[in-house]
Amino acid sequence: MDIQSTIKKLERELNEALVSVDKIEALQDVKAAFVGKKSELSGLMRHMKDIPNEEKPAFGQTINAAKQRFNTMIESRKKAIQAKRLARKLEQEKIDVTLPAPDFTRGAQHVLTRITESLEDLFIGMGYLVKEGPEIETDELNFEKLNLPKDHPARDMQDSFYISDETLLRTHTSPVQVRTMLEYGGTKPVKIICPGTVYRRDDDDATHSHQFMQVEGLVVDKDTTLSDLKGTLLALARHLFGEDRKIRLRPSYFPFTEPSFEVDVTCAGCDGAGCATCKQTGYIEILGAGMVHNNVLEAAGYDSTQYQGFAFGVGVERLAMLKYGIDDIRHFYTNDVRFLSQFKGELS
Amino acid sequence: MRVSLNWLRDFVEVTKDIDTLTDTFTLHSMEVASTEKLIDASDLVIGHVRACEPHPDADKLLVCDVDVGQETLTIVCGAPNVAAGQHVIVALEGATLAGGLRIQKTTIRGVESRGMICSLSELGLPMKYHQETGIHVIDDEVRVGEDAREVLGLNDDVIVLDLTPNRMDLLSMHGVAYDVAAMFDTKLTIAEPKVTYDKHTNPMTITSDTDACKAYYGSVIENITIKPSPSWLKARLIAAGIRPINNVVDITNYVMLETGQPLHAFDFDLLNSEIIVVREARQGETFTTLDDKVRTLDAGDVLITDGTRPIALGGVMGGADTEVHAKTTRILLESAAFSPLHVRRTASRLDVRSESSMRFEKGIDIAKLRFALDRASELLIELAGATVRKDVVYVDRLDTSEQTIELPLSTLDKVLGIRLSQARVEDVLRRLRFRYTIKNDVVVITKPTRRPDFENHQDIIEEIGRIHGYASVPETLPRTVSVGELTDKQRFRRAVRETLLGLGLHEAKTYSLRPRETVQRFAVDKKTPVTVKHPMSERRAALRLSPLGGLMEAASYNVARGQSSVHLFEVGHVYAPTGEEEKLAGLMHGVYRPRHWQTTTALNFYTLKAVLETLFKRFGVSVQYTPATLEHYHPHQAAVLDVAGTRLGHLAKVHPAHAAAHDLSDVYAFELDLDVLYDAREPSLRYQPVDRFPAIERDIAIVVDRLVLAGEVINAIADTGIGALRTVNVFDVYEGTPLDDDKKSLGIRMVFKDPEGTLQAEHVDRRVNSVIEHLRTVFDATLR
Ligand SMILES: [Zn+2]
Repeated sequence: MDIQSTIKKLERELNEALVSVDKIEALQDVKAAFVGKKSELSGLMRHMKDIPNEEKPAFGQTINAAKQRFNTMIESRKKAIQAKRLARKLEQEKIDVTLPAPDFTRGAQHVLTRITESLEDLFIGMGYLVKEGPEIETDELNFEKLNLPKDHPARDMQDSFYISDETLLRTHTSPVQVRTMLEYGGTKPVKIICPGTVYRRDDDDATHSHQFMQVEGLVVDKDTTLSDLKGTLLALARHLFGEDRKIRLRPSYFPFTEPSFEVDVTCAGCDGAGCATCKQTGYIEILGAGMVHNNVLEAAGYDSTQYQGFAFGVGVERLAMLKYGIDDIRHFYTNDVRFLSQFKGELS
Repeated sequence: MRVSLNWLRDFVEVTKDIDTLTDTFTLHSMEVASTEKLIDASDLVIGHVRACEPHPDADKLLVCDVDVGQETLTIVCGAPNVAAGQHVIVALEGATLAGGLRIQKTTIRGVESRGMICSLSELGLPMKYHQETGIHVIDDEVRVGEDAREVLGLNDDVIVLDLTPNRMDLLSMHGVAYDVAAMFDTKLTIAEPKVTYDKHTNPMTITSDTDACKAYYGSVIENITIKPSPSWLKARLIAAGIRPINNVVDITNYVMLETGQPLHAFDFDLLNSEIIVVREARQGETFTTLDDKVRTLDAGDVLITDGTRPIALGGVMGGADTEVHAKTTRILLESAAFSPLHVRRTASRLDVRSESSMRFEKGIDIAKLRFALDRASELLIELAGATVRKDVVYVDRLDTSEQTIELPLSTLDKVLGIRLSQARVEDVLRRLRFRYTIKNDVVVITKPTRRPDFENHQDIIEEIGRIHGYASVPETLPRTVSVGELTDKQRFRRAVRETLLGLGLHEAKTYSLRPRETVQRFAVDKKTPVTVKHPMSERRAALRLSPLGGLMEAASYNVARGQSSVHLFEVGHVYAPTGEEEKLAGLMHGVYRPRHWQTTTALNFYTLKAVLETLFKRFGVSVQYTPATLEHYHPHQAAVLDVAGTRLGHLAKVHPAHAAAHDLSDVYAFELDLDVLYDAREPSLRYQPVDRFPAIERDIAIVVDRLVLAGEVINAIADTGIGALRTVNVFDVYEGTPLDDDKKSLGIRMVFKDPEGTLQAEHVDRRVNSVIEHLRTVFDATLR
């Protein structure tokens, strides 16, 4: 018997069988038929006894090699069938990647919080602490210790909501400065900013609000100068309005500082040349500042012959309005989602 | 303060144009609110009406022949008060009037008219200053053909200074002149008034019983003819924003504007005596002021009396009884010093703020009392034909001793952060006209009486700084070395916000002041609201007890504008009589994270609970939910929240009735006490080794009474303290057939883990059985 031709015949038959098989189950039958115990190939082994001894190893090897080859063929067919089946399955899973995604909208931080936190971060970077205090304050802390005794004409400048004869809704966050100085006991330098909500008797309109947010700053030390104030305010102006901004100080008046200033920043719209935004002046007023009045230092326990300092205060709404071109201060408290949701992304 | 440049030039050399003046004021003195031309009109001349005939073809028009110097023009005029013989203002052809009106030759009903006879309103002077409806008839002696703007003092520019309360010195033309002289280093030309007195003595005696009036000067002035003031004086008053009345009243106002010293004129013949007694009012005393209002006075108001009755409220307003009138011929002219505090109290209590009271409140130059009286006398002689009795009577207890302020030059440099040479400092002081000496590098300045605001050397630094200019101050940073950082609480607050933003809630800010009647709404803890004493409106009368009132309004506002999905939170204070608390509140309405073309998940109680649980887990806080009946909320969808026995807040569906009142449908709201949450947070992070052994899960389904709460079942299982039981959760709730109506089924998943080794299934089964046994005992539960 010619074993080689038998194997060749079987191989031909296997090939034909595999081509027509396209299911894994059917492939099992093919496998049984060609390499199983009852397969013709296995049956060839029974001829071993008829083979001369010296040819037996070669005979066995030939059959085993064929078996191996057959298994490989079946295995590769199996993989082909599986691949095809998977491709069919994946095809059924086809989606339209252009369909809109489910909306997992992220909330937007309030623009006032956003600017406040941005200022906090700027000043923390310069070594300041963030100090807070109550919104219902005593007349003493809100006014008297800030060089605004009762009957002081400048109390008109910030007409206030009194709760009782001695308490009121704070008109600025300056009482937090006083609280901090008192807490420090006049013995160590102060370097703080005080963000918070304040109240003044203004009729609400596009540019006035009876409630608004402030960030105030205070530095008190033995050698804190007006030039330090200028440099600090320049940093603030550039942080909010861009690296090319310049500032100028104009004489003004606050009871708690002397000298006092209004601080203008060069208009970003025209770079100082004059435009509608800055009413042709080239400058936009952004905050008030000054050197701390000696009466304020003394009232808060600091020896004014040893210590001096500067203070400033910004209205957060005003900054936001300038920065983003918001036309009406009431937007900040109306909470229209179409307004709120715009303030996302990086602060710039 | 409205500063007429014509007037200013009387006292100081002004060499710069108005733009330079404005810029210099802005950087070195005071903010300029605006600049104005007194009138915006050109090509105006003085005309003389020679003849005035009715228009042949129009009832209400007159045809006038007006001599304008070079020629006589025919002008058609519609004003009924025009008449032959008058001197008038003529706008020539080509003239521009207020509002840009151009005058051209026109033919009016067949008569050619060449120019226009003007009213003051047509020149741009508001009615409130002149109250003339017809053309302006000039009383002064004038020459035909002259430039009318010049002759009438109307060719003037006005700088409006936005005064701050410390610069009372700028409430006078003299004060402004001093500042201009300092800023531009130019000459001051303030002249001493010269009064020629007559031979009659002043019969008055004056006493003051109160320190609220330490000085009172009185002059008796006679032979007055009350008439309109000359045009130049009227123009200056109008430039300053004051309406001319008659020469006497105008002169008192004029001198006040010039010197800063308020004056008051009494009709001398209406006084009951020849004595003036200044005293403080008695509580409840009444007095009729010249606006004919009966004022009830307080002790502390300062009264001028003639010994028999009050005749003026010192520094605030004169009395009706002794007011100067059209027939007045003799006056007592008062120049006095009233205490700022008393005037301020009286004026603000009676709500009468006048030019006079404003100046007393801010402090006058005590060296100017006599000066002002003399200046007014000088003008009354000139403009009212008056004579002045020779003795000015007075009381004067003012402290006129000189006060000095010391400023070491080193302090000046140390505050400004620059080095100013002594020469530069002296130059600035000379320009400011401060009297000073310098010894051992210390400047000693005599406090000028015109600057009562000066208290200490900081005031002097301010003066030197502003005149020198702040532009040369460099920009440096404080040398104070310090660590900047947020406190734990501040970081926590930021993390709270960040978490809720991540969950899709927008941050809102609402007003703290709310209507009194609704301020308790949505506040679970019904405290008495704190109210403000004098609210601006009922809508802003009380301080909020919860941010939810404002948030509900915000939701309502959005829904009304087509934004049906509103998810908001706010971090802010609430205010109870016991103190302020910081709250975190929020609400959700509409669809949460809508899935567009896929299915939409309806928002419900558990959505907001999930939001809160995410927040709580962020800080490692475990919260107990207890069903509660809360006013304004759904009676069966409300819970109060506690952490370790402390009330944290509430979470509930807003009562449909209240939601509907806001035009909202299903609204879910929460409010938490931020401090309680902060205190409950896991203070520090603790690492636990990751489990090395597998967990075993066991699910059971039990049937219990419908009223049994899932939370109770979970707690009951946790309370058994069974070893290795890590978590208990409810994964299924079922009510309906085949269960009885009063029963429900709960699917409960328990997870067991042992850090020490792999759990044996039979051990876990035993534990599950004991759980079932426990539930059977406690809830009469059966396995399903
Ligand atoms: Zn600009």
